[in-house]
Amino acid sequence: MWLWFSKLGSPKWFYELSGRWLPWLIAAMTIFITVGVIWGLLYLPPDYQQGYTSRILIVHVAVAGTSLAFFPLMAVAGVITMVWRMKLADMVAKMAAPIGAWFSFLTLATGSIWGSISWGTWWEWTDARLVTMLFQLFLLLGVISLRSALEDQDKAAKACALLSIVGLINVVVIKYSVEWWNVLHQVASPVSLSADSPNGPQFWIAIAIMIVAMYLFLSVSLILATRNEILQRERRSQWVQDLVRQS
Amino acid sequence: MTIEQSTIKQTTMAAAFIATLKRDLLISFKKKNDVVNPFMFFVIVVSLFPIGISPDSDRLSEIAAGVIWISVLLASMLSMDNLYRSDYEDGSLEQLLLSPHPLFFMVLAKNLSHWLVSGLPVVLISPLLAYMLNLPQAAYFTLICSLLIGTPIMSLVGSIAVALTVGLGSRGLILAVITLPMSVPVLIFGTLSVQASLNNTSPAGYLALMLAMLAVAVSLAPLASATALRISVN
Repeated sequence: MWLWFSKLGSPKWFYELSGRWLPWLIAAMTIFITVGVIWGLLYLPPDYQQGYTSRILIVHVAVAGTSLAFFPLMAVAGVITMVWRMKLADMVAKMAAPIGAWFSFLTLATGSIWGSISWGTWWEWTDARLVTMLFQLFLLLGVISLRSALEDQDKAAKACALLSIVGLINVVVIKYSVEWWNVLHQVASPVSLSADSPNGPQFWIAIAIMIVAMYLFLSVSLILATRNEILQRERRSQWVQDLVRQS
Repeated sequence: MTIEQSTIKQTTMAAAFIATLKRDLLISFKKKNDVVNPFMFFVIVVSLFPIGISPDSDRLSEIAAGVIWISVLLASMLSMDNLYRSDYEDGSLEQLLLSPHPLFFMVLAKNLSHWLVSGLPVVLISPLLAYMLNLPQAAYFTLICSLLIGTPIMSLVGSIAVALTVGLGSRGLILAVITLPMSVPVLIFGTLSVQASLNNTSPAGYLALMLAMLAVAVSLAPLASATALRISVN
């Protein structure tokens, strides 16, 4: 068990393993995205209330669900960085931050587009999810700018690890305080996405497919980015130089 | 060497805490600019709002609490900048890290002194500014209470970001980018409590929640600050 764990810390081992996984992951991702996008955006019957705009939700819910994974991911990587000094965890955390920021931005953008039709407004401060997502984006941008400001790699790794852990706690606190804030302002959330909507199972199956597709997309882009980072950081080691010479 | 060690052992943790607090307060007292400037900044920012938004007293009384809270936030961030910087530059921060006493309490002492010289004056002047912004009388007491609880939270949480960036040359903006999103919960409950007393409902619940946040911040934030200092200084 611990052998496996320490092996995972070695960038070379990860590079080789991920190289073998990557074709399968990419294949699965392509299938899921193709099915999800074509079915969800072209063939899904219109919602009884929202009409065709509900198709935007197929993308939006999937992206939003995925973007929630980033702070936990970075915090776990941060704990591993701080406790076991594992270089790989820091590489993953470093690459996860910009991807997470992009996902958060996409969540806000697709949500706004959907909201502009369904709610009649592009932005709604009374919706806790919107505001929380906005501040999650800001916190992620903070982690990114801290990373780019610190030149020493080791120091940057530990500093960003700590900030990610603090950030995770903060996102949770922000989420609940914003929810509370809204409840007390007594403005009902404009729409509820409850599972018992009369749309039938189709809608939820399509969303589930897209969520899986987005998680696969997240894994693929994270692995690709991490492999890139490994090559850059390990450029002085023998196996990377061999690899470059072979290709 | 042995003599030094024996004298170190004689100082208790409480004595070390008080010594750090006294030292920081003395330094702030000697460098008055660092204390006065954030305070002046706060007063000026608050007075800019009526000019920028509207001199209409009804409208001002609506936004007064929010304006004061946000200005406090910005001012505390400005003053935050010299929390560890001069100590880092003259090397006394390293001495603090080498001290045999837990860094947790040293950090807590520094945060307390920072709050005493930057947070407390702002809280004390806030009734006057609230009066200028035409905040209804009913909300004064709540505003002061919420600021009294909220400003130390800001000092404690901001201290983490300052400690992380202490080695950087120019860090004013990065500090803002990291700290400001983190202060959202304090801002929410601070303004909510004032709103509650404006609506003639009891603000006690929000103040209690803020006290809970303060308790969590006092027990966890110095830990994170201490870790951050060890990362930055080594």
